[in-house]
Amino acid sequence: MAKYLTDLAPVRAPLDRAHGLPNAHYTDPVVHAEEREALLFSTWAGLTVAAEVPEPGDAKPIDFVGVPLLLLRDREGQVRVFQNICRHRGMILVAEPRKIEGALRCPYHSWCYGLDGRLVATPHVGGPGQNVHPEIKRDELGLVEVASHIWRDVVFVNLDGTAPPFEDYHARIVARWADFDRPLHHGGPDSQFDLAVNCNWKLAVENYCESYHLPWVHPGLNSYSRLEDHYHIEEPERFSGQGSSLYRQLKGDQGEVFPDFPDLNPKWQTAAEYLGFFPNVLFGAQRDHAYAILLMPQAQGRTLEQVHIYYATPDTDPTMRARNSALWKGVFVEDIGVVEGMQKGRHAPGFDGGKFSPAMDGPTHVFHDWVAGRIEAHREKSLAAQ
Amino acid sequence: MTQGDLDAALLAAHAADDRRALVALYTQAAEAANAADATGFYLTHAYIFALDTGHPQAARLHARLKTEGREE
Repeated sequence: MAKYLTDLAPVRAPLDRAHGLPNAHYTDPVVHAEEREALLFSTWAGLTVAAEVPEPGDAKPIDFVGVPLLLLRDREGQVRVFQNICRHRGMILVAEPRKIEGALRCPYHSWCYGLDGRLVATPHVGGPGQNVHPEIKRDELGLVEVASHIWRDVVFVNLDGTAPPFEDYHARIVARWADFDRPLHHGGPDSQFDLAVNCNWKLAVENYCESYHLPWVHPGLNSYSRLEDHYHIEEPERFSGQGSSLYRQLKGDQGEVFPDFPDLNPKWQTAAEYLGFFPNVLFGAQRDHAYAILLMPQAQGRTLEQVHIYYATPDTDPTMRARNSALWKGVFVEDIGVVEGMQKGRHAPGFDGGKFSPAMDGPTHVFHDWVAGRIEAHREKSLAAQ
Repeated sequence: MTQGDLDAALLAAHAADDRRALVALYTQAAEAANAADATGFYLTHAYIFALDTGHPQAARLHARLKTEGREE
């Protein structure tokens, strides 16, 4: 009998001999539960974007792989993430996105919390009209804060609190895109959209990080951004993706373009990069706009892709923004057929995970190798704890 | 306002989720109560809705509850 549910040794082999992840990683609920902890809870996972809570007091509940979280911007403007439950009876605190005018009041027994998470009121906790009790120590009963870090407006969370500090763990990507470390201005409602996709979230990463499919799935894109103009980006255990050395700006009817991010290295005049940032964020960076795609697992075979587009200035032309959003949405919609097709394909008994192209599938292998490595470590840890 | 009117106004404010009105109405109920615990009960409600809404009376209500040993 196998020691573990899936054999990951073939995944961890060098690219020319490796196979992709076994089917169970896309279809078996037990493996999905493993991945939830090993890939999404113990890493810096993308939760949402800070632009979702633009003003102090803005609160947004988010279900992240079954965990109720609350995104909150406090009075000083700091964005925090808490477990969205009252410390009294575990009641959900905020059911819908809203503005918190004063304190955060639990709708059940009205325990109240400050926007910094402190427990500030416990009505009738010592009996009617008596709001204190020796056993109710407010300074020990604040909301449970989740470790969070904002980079490129994406709110990353480490749910189990075991990940190294974000700046240390992701120093290489921060350095790689240091040129783009400029203020990002969310384009607003016309620059965000969701795509509900019937596939495991990992398939969206796998598809995004390789350029091999571009001429077949995105023939329009390939007409000006050809396969041979792309290069692989492979940073084991952190991210992988593709770069293009032939980026062309979107132009309006009068030849107008979006303003560039300031002080960029001249190489970005014609270059652009697209990274799958492990586990679940897809980034794009170009001279005049950027985007982030949050992959929110809804179930093992369902993913919500949340797309947010950013610009170098806060006052870009709405017609141009709408055109740019439509362009990207068209590209991302073209991918749905293949990621959903791969999800269906994963129900074929005996599929060995797939044979990679040694020349073209390196970025996908880097991602699978990362998944396999984290799952192996998680299994070893679980075994040791038994 | 009679006790009956106050009760009706409280129910109407709850139904309308008019939490700012509840601050005033529960404060009124506290003033009308003739037992210390009843006063504390209504004051607590006024305070909680004041906290909830960021009402300017929150600090004053808290101070009064604290003076009466009902709040920390």
